[in-house]
Amino acid sequence: MKEEHNWGWPIASYLFLGGLGGGMIVVAGFADLAFGRGEPFSLGSLLAGIAVAIGSALLIFELGRPFRFWRVLSREKAIMTAGAWLLSFTIFTSFAYFSFWPDFSPWRQLVGLRHFASGINIVLGLGVCIYTGILLGSLRARAFWNTPILPVLFLVSGISTGVAAQSLLAGSWPCHGTAGDLGAVHAALRSCDLALVVFELIIVFVYVGMMRFSAGPVTARIAAQWLTGPKKWPFWGGLVGLGLALPGTLYGLSSAAGGETAPILVLIGGVVLRFLVVYSDERVRLPGESEYYARLPGPDAPFLKAWE
Amino acid sequence: MARFAMIMDTRRCIGCHSCTVACKVNNGLPLDMIYNPVFTSGPTGVFPHVSMTFYPLLCMHCKNPPCVGCCPSGASRQEADGIVWVDQNTCIGCKACIQACPYRARHQNAETGTVQKCDFCKERVREGLEAFCVETCHQRARIFGDLDDPGSAVSQMVNGMNTLQLLPEIGTDPQVYYIVSPGGQG
Repeated sequence: MKEEHNWGWPIASYLFLGGLGGGMIVVAGFADLAFGRGEPFSLGSLLAGIAVAIGSALLIFELGRPFRFWRVLSREKAIMTAGAWLLSFTIFTSFAYFSFWPDFSPWRQLVGLRHFASGINIVLGLGVCIYTGILLGSLRARAFWNTPILPVLFLVSGISTGVAAQSLLAGSWPCHGTAGDLGAVHAALRSCDLALVVFELIIVFVYVGMMRFSAGPVTARIAAQWLTGPKKWPFWGGLVGLGLALPGTLYGLSSAAGGETAPILVLIGGVVLRFLVVYSDERVRLPGESEYYARLPGPDAPFLKAWE
Repeated sequence: MARFAMIMDTRRCIGCHSCTVACKVNNGLPLDMIYNPVFTSGPTGVFPHVSMTFYPLLCMHCKNPPCVGCCPSGASRQEADGIVWVDQNTCIGCKACIQACPYRARHQNAETGTVQKCDFCKERVREGLEAFCVETCHQRARIFGDLDDPGSAVSQMVNGMNTLQLLPEIGTDPQVYYIVSPGGQG
């Protein structure tokens, strides 16, 4: 009986969607507050809310008792409770921010209120990106997660995927911008994401390098799995190559070329990163533990049906 | 107030797994769930200098339990007498506590979806009865008692002998103490 990964693909997918949605509303908020250019990112804000909502639905689906999910909100001291409140508010405020933009919106002219919503979205978006890293990073039993670099990595990856998604969506309905305007927006997003991708690449190598060379046996083993072991293809090919280095090169090579390829690759890198991290949840084993569980019969052992 | 603890005298444990069976049968655990396995460490060394140690396990009922702090629903609790348990009615099965536990002491019930664990047989020990695993141990390798009672065997042994805690570096301060024989590893 092998120890299974207690958190699997629904959690990894949620981590991606949460970071993506959080990053998207942070981008929209900054663009609106700092540059007065919120409009190209209005559809992105709607989709950010939908991404966070789908992610939250995955979290609920993953529970042992999904129909009691509201109890996750009840204990204010737990990080997961704080996260559940953050997600609930973020879904609401993302939709609320979007509602300022369509032509039929009755409060389209209330710019002050919209700026207030942008500010709230920036805070909540950063919170959604970071808290997941704290949630995983605070678990001392899971040595590979238990590092303060994890929230930073999740934050940078979340913002980076948010920028990528927004650059794919920028200028869509209900935006009225001209092609010339949007060219400047796209150029700004590209240089922004280039910086984030380079920064994320550095964080990834600091993280894996630290784990490989300085820490205990479990962390060194998992880092070796990433670098040279069974996870080397997702790590080198998926995350480092396709997800960071290639889009970074495309962003850097030319402002016009690359078009939509680089942002899509960044999104793929975000997915691969979350799956790599979630499936690296090994514990330090107690003396004799692995041997004990290896000897236990599985659910298909013949003796279980011998008396039927 | 009582402060419950257990001592595992590995010098006495013969690895018969009676405690595992007694717990499973009396607590009605599902087939794939074990609260208190007995791990075998070794044999190590080169003949004739060899040794082997059995480590009986159960929930460590940590003084500083990471599984309680991370619980978002409040189902995972620590009582004043030190017992850590899960309220089955409140648990939503998010598995945060399973991830937080360094000792693999928490298990999700596939049927109910909730997380279950050893609770030191709290209904029994509060009435002065022994936990099933303690009662069944014919070698007296599992010793249960109250650390606040200076006359209790656990209090005298924890204070008067060399005992070990498992994974003390994680900072959970387990309330299950191990006496490891001088010849054994540990």
